[in-house]
Amino acid sequence: MSKRNNVVLLSSDDDDGSINRSLSSNHCYKTKPKLKNSTTSRRLKKPRLSTSQTRFSILHQINLLDEDFNEMFTGSKVSPDTQRSSTLEQWVDKYKPCSLEELAVHKKKVEEVKSWFEERLKASKGVYKNNVLVISGQAGVGKSAAIHVIASHLGAAVCGWNTPTPVLWQEHLYNSGAGAQYTSKLDEFENFVERIRKYGIISTSFTGESKPSAILLIDDLPMTNGKAAFGRLKDCLQLLVYSTQIPTAILFTDYGNTDSADYNARCLEELQLSLESSGACKVAFNPITTNSIKKTLFRICQMEHRDVSADHVDNIAKASGGDIRHAITSLQFFCLKPNQVHSLSLFTHSPGVLKDECNKPVRSNDGYYLHYGRDETLSLFHALGKFLHNKRETQSSIEYDQDSFLIQERFSRLPLKMDVPEKILCQSHAQPGLVTGFLHENVLDFLDDEAIDDAWTLSSYLGDADILLAKLRGMLSSDSDTGSVLQSAAASVAVRGVLFGNSQPLSSRWHTIRRPQLWHVEKASLHKKNEMLRLRFPACKCLSSYHISVMATEYMPISKLLGNRACGVYHEPHQELLKNMDMEDVGFDQMSLYEQLETSDDDIEDW
Amino acid sequence: MLWVDKYRPKTLDHVMVHDLIAQNLKKLVTEQDCPHLLFYGPSGSGKKTLIMALLRQMFGPGAEKVKVENRTWKVDAGSRSIDIELTTLQSANHTEISPSDAGFQDRYVVQEIIKDMAKNRPIDTKGKKGGFKVLVLNDVDKLSREAQHSLRRTMEKYSAYCRLILCCNSSSRVTEAIRSRCLNVRINAPSEEQIADVLEFIGKKEGLQLPSGFAARIAEKSNRNLRRAILSFETCRVQQYPFTSKQAIPPMDWEEYISEIASDIMKEQSPKRLFQVRGKLYELLINCIPPEIILKRLVYELLRKLDDELKHEVCHWASYYEHRMRLGQKAIFHIEAFVAKFMSVYKSFLIATFG
Amino acid sequence: MAPILHSSQQWVEKYRPKQVKDVAHQDEVVRVLTNTLETGSCPHMLFYGPPGTGKTTTALAIAHQLFGSELYKSRVLELNASDDRGINVVRTKIKDFAAVAVGTNHPKSGYPCPPFKIIVLDEADSMTEDAQNALRRTMETYSKVTRFFFICNYISRIIEPLASRCAKFRFKPLSEDIMSSRILYICKEEGLNLDDEALSTLSSISQGDLRRAITYLQSAARLFGSSISSKDLISVSGVVPSEVVEGLLAACKSGNFDLANKEVNNFIAEGYPVSQMLNQLIDIIVDKDDISDEQKARICKKLGEVDKRLVDGADEYLQLLDVASNTMQAFGDKPEGFTYEG
Repeated sequence: MSKRNNVVLLSSDDDDGSINRSLSSNHCYKTKPKLKNSTTSRRLKKPRLSTSQTRFSILHQINLLDEDFNEMFTGSKVSPDTQRSSTLEQWVDKYKPCSLEELAVHKKKVEEVKSWFEERLKASKGVYKNNVLVISGQAGVGKSAAIHVIASHLGAAVCGWNTPTPVLWQEHLYNSGAGAQYTSKLDEFENFVERIRKYGIISTSFTGESKPSAILLIDDLPMTNGKAAFGRLKDCLQLLVYSTQIPTAILFTDYGNTDSADYNARCLEELQLSLESSGACKVAFNPITTNSIKKTLFRICQMEHRDVSADHVDNIAKASGGDIRHAITSLQFFCLKPNQVHSLSLFTHSPGVLKDECNKPVRSNDGYYLHYGRDETLSLFHALGKFLHNKRETQSSIEYDQDSFLIQERFSRLPLKMDVPEKILCQSHAQPGLVTGFLHENVLDFLDDEAIDDAWTLSSYLGDADILLAKLRGMLSSDSDTGSVLQSAAASVAVRGVLFGNSQPLSSRWHTIRRPQLWHVEKASLHKKNEMLRLRFPACKCLSSYHISVMATEYMPISKLLGNRACGVYHEPHQELLKNMDMEDVGFDQMSLYEQLETSDDDIEDW
Repeated sequence: MLWVDKYRPKTLDHVMVHDLIAQNLKKLVTEQDCPHLLFYGPSGSGKKTLIMALLRQMFGPGAEKVKVENRTWKVDAGSRSIDIELTTLQSANHTEISPSDAGFQDRYVVQEIIKDMAKNRPIDTKGKKGGFKVLVLNDVDKLSREAQHSLRRTMEKYSAYCRLILCCNSSSRVTEAIRSRCLNVRINAPSEEQIADVLEFIGKKEGLQLPSGFAARIAEKSNRNLRRAILSFETCRVQQYPFTSKQAIPPMDWEEYISEIASDIMKEQSPKRLFQVRGKLYELLINCIPPEIILKRLVYELLRKLDDELKHEVCHWASYYEHRMRLGQKAIFHIEAFVAKFMSVYKSFLIATFG
Repeated sequence: MAPILHSSQQWVEKYRPKQVKDVAHQDEVVRVLTNTLETGSCPHMLFYGPPGTGKTTTALAIAHQLFGSELYKSRVLELNASDDRGINVVRTKIKDFAAVAVGTNHPKSGYPCPPFKIIVLDEADSMTEDAQNALRRTMETYSKVTRFFFICNYISRIIEPLASRCAKFRFKPLSEDIMSSRILYICKEEGLNLDDEALSTLSSISQGDLRRAITYLQSAARLFGSSISSKDLISVSGVVPSEVVEGLLAACKSGNFDLANKEVNNFIAEGYPVSQMLNQLIDIIVDKDDISDEQKARICKKLGEVDKRLVDGADEYLQLLDVASNTMQAFGDKPEGFTYEG
């Protein structure tokens, strides 16, 4: 496949050349190039819409001139990959759905999208004001597949914008030597939209045919950084919604599960809203059900003549979390295993365990699972919410048999209604210090008004966590192993302490989770301390220096009373200081980032 | 200039409170050599004053010509080099630093900086007698164990060129090795009578009329801290003069604040109140009031208001959490735990007593 | 103006015995060691015992007697705990020193001058276990040309493989009269005037540690001149006067919390070291007849706990107050109520 690409490259398709090059430069992602190759090859059939011709033509020249360079990248490095990929095509591409029946997406949704397009394609221009459909859904639920299938079903051509592979900075430097201008993806996108609006799709490749109906597909939008760029993108898209004549589908990939603190995810959400408000229709694709994934997987197994047990397919389907692309890749990966017999025998061992407790197969072979499990991430706030709300079963489900040791009543708690706390912590990728800080800040809100004993237990445990964290200070950086163990121990103590301590969790109430004030306080006191250090020497008239605590407890209060007579200029009520700090926190999402920065500062200082 | 500085005795002969020690010190430096010295005693007892006077005795008025300098040392610590910034007070013959300002790098401070200083022998303009430098180290009790170990080594190695004057609040935290190499001088806090004497002396110098018992009242409030007594004396002077015998002696604002916290705690015991208390504690911390002082003051205020049976328990928990505060990093966690514990104890006490 | 540095020498160094036979009180050790000196052959040695009993003195005296002051520098390596003594130092410094071959100097001046070197490791018990293990190899490798003298307070902290390679010598605490005679000797040399009371105070506050006794003596002499009273000695040593300790105990006995609190406050204001107070308290408590064993146990338990906290840097006032309150509770036989768990 890639070989074909190389040929293409020589036959002066400069666009793909650039992609190919950047592909080869990050060839360490062994699976990705293959995926992308497929998209590029698909794109060959489409009209070339990219507008930044200057850059590419120069690039092309460079490519031709600098053969060594080319060879180094495309020849020597890519070819080993391509050899393999030609024998083993990605199943995701191989079994791309070709008909509506094959689509794993829910029938209703497909129908909805299909009819939407049908109406617009049939109708003459100007009937529908809104020609934009926004499709959202998490990765791998078949958004683009659905469009392609529907388009081919309706006999329309799909043309579109795919995020071009970004130009690497080094590459740009290299090019700029030859006089090429750097055009950002955003610029390119704007140009593209402009052209679409003005001219519709003017395609050279369709010249032979009689004006086919076309669907415009805008897959992943260009990434934006900063407010200005984001604003531009928003305006640009709104313009598109208002003025486009061609039925257009804009795909949004939801990162529903990931950190809500992620700036980009927030932006995308905002974009969607703005699009809808300017009149675009919206269809949300749900994650694909396990059953339909299973169906697809079985179909593939059949076609590949692989014998994969039903249990197995079931596991893969469950683990994929509704991402069919992932499921198929997992399946392929699984079938790839050189010692399949062995692994299957391994697997038949574990069902031995399963027989006893069939009702929870997912748990029992967790380790095995990880091979094809999706990495589930939780947002920090999600995790904190779980800990703070402390949801528990209403009654203990564990029967007391002779093995389980007895706990005094005041120490026993009902079983948790969540995963093991450590697992949640791990999924949220939060720093222990941060978690402890947040828990400390917020936990009192979740306590019953009478439960001062609980408050004590909690705060004592948080203190324990703090002591564990503090042990890190004196440690050399070489002991990073011990360090990380201590860190996770501290987080675990904090979380479990909070869970245990809150013995009568309140019924769910809605609370905002505040950021820890602690950081403010530390920063402010540091500021104050420096202030005092500066004053220290003038204050004691150069004979000797006072200790900082003496300054704080005796000089400062007195000098306030004396009205600045003695200690030089001392006035800075900290309220003012706090106000300044508050101005700093621009948005909730940037905040956690800011705090993480702060923690690292803190660490550095400790060294 | 504050009275504290204005009336600080400049020479050993003028020292009022610790006159006996001063005389002995004078004998020590004039008659024979000066050993390494370790001054210890509570805050505000006059250690610094004695040290300054001692330096003056050794080097003459030149010891008072000091300059403040921010110096940065590059220290090679194993794999990487660290920059350590410290403020020093220097005269031709002595240097004063607080190595514990360097935090966790104090070990390097002691090892390298002191070594460095000790090596650079002072240049005597007259060219006679090598002479020696005096290094005044503040807060040696706050140095880590490692730092104290290396300090000991430095003392032995460079004792020919350099004399150390160490100064700290509690000698418990200074290792035996260092203590045994120094002449230990305990500076006790002046008694209330002594403080009153000093205040009356200052009053006379300033030409003030002191009602009888006024000085004694300030002395009583000062908790045997002379510096504080003089400071509040001056505040009284600014706030109201001529003095009246009933005049209120202004307390420190942070102390009032803590007493407010204490009554808050006594009034209501609930997580909500705990949260409010936290806010107030933050306020104090922002103002750089050291956490152990907050805790101590809080205990003081609580003890004043409690029945005897509870006092023991309060002591117990205060010392327990104070220790944990030392081990930990974030003081607020531990102070808060103490407050929570107190609330819980007090609440059950109330329930047991009044039902 | 700058003072002269004539008498900067510490008396501890000045009056350190130069000959093994002069080492006070350790008769058996001296007997064995004189033998070795005569034959000129000596094994690795391990000296252990409480501080101030002459361990370092003995080790240095042996080295001096074997090599004389001329060769001393090239033949003897002294390392003590404040030197950086991690595993690397053991690997390099000691190895380097041990590896250099010994010249075949012939004895010139009556010293036996045996063909080996001596490495004196003072305060060996503060070495890390890794370093000690590394040392074991070094000892074996260079056993022909080097002898190690380990000096430590606690033999239990020396790893067994090292200890078993050495001849062990235990140093006993000095008895009072031996100490007194040594101190009187120094007083005579320095022209000091010491009355009997001061002398007995000195031996009691130094607790069998001769070095400490000499240090106190020198400090007192520096500060108070040639006639020294027992009060001077106490003030210089940082020992808490016994009436203060008794005062606190009496306050605890009275069962009046505020009285005890005031007592503690005064104690802190006087600037006495609390750790010292704990040491003296425990001595008194253990000896007292009118306290039951259970009470003693309770008090001592708390003393131990608080001592650890002080080492960790806890606040002196709060900790001493805790001790006082606990002692009061123990005297009153109040139940031990405060558990750490909810």
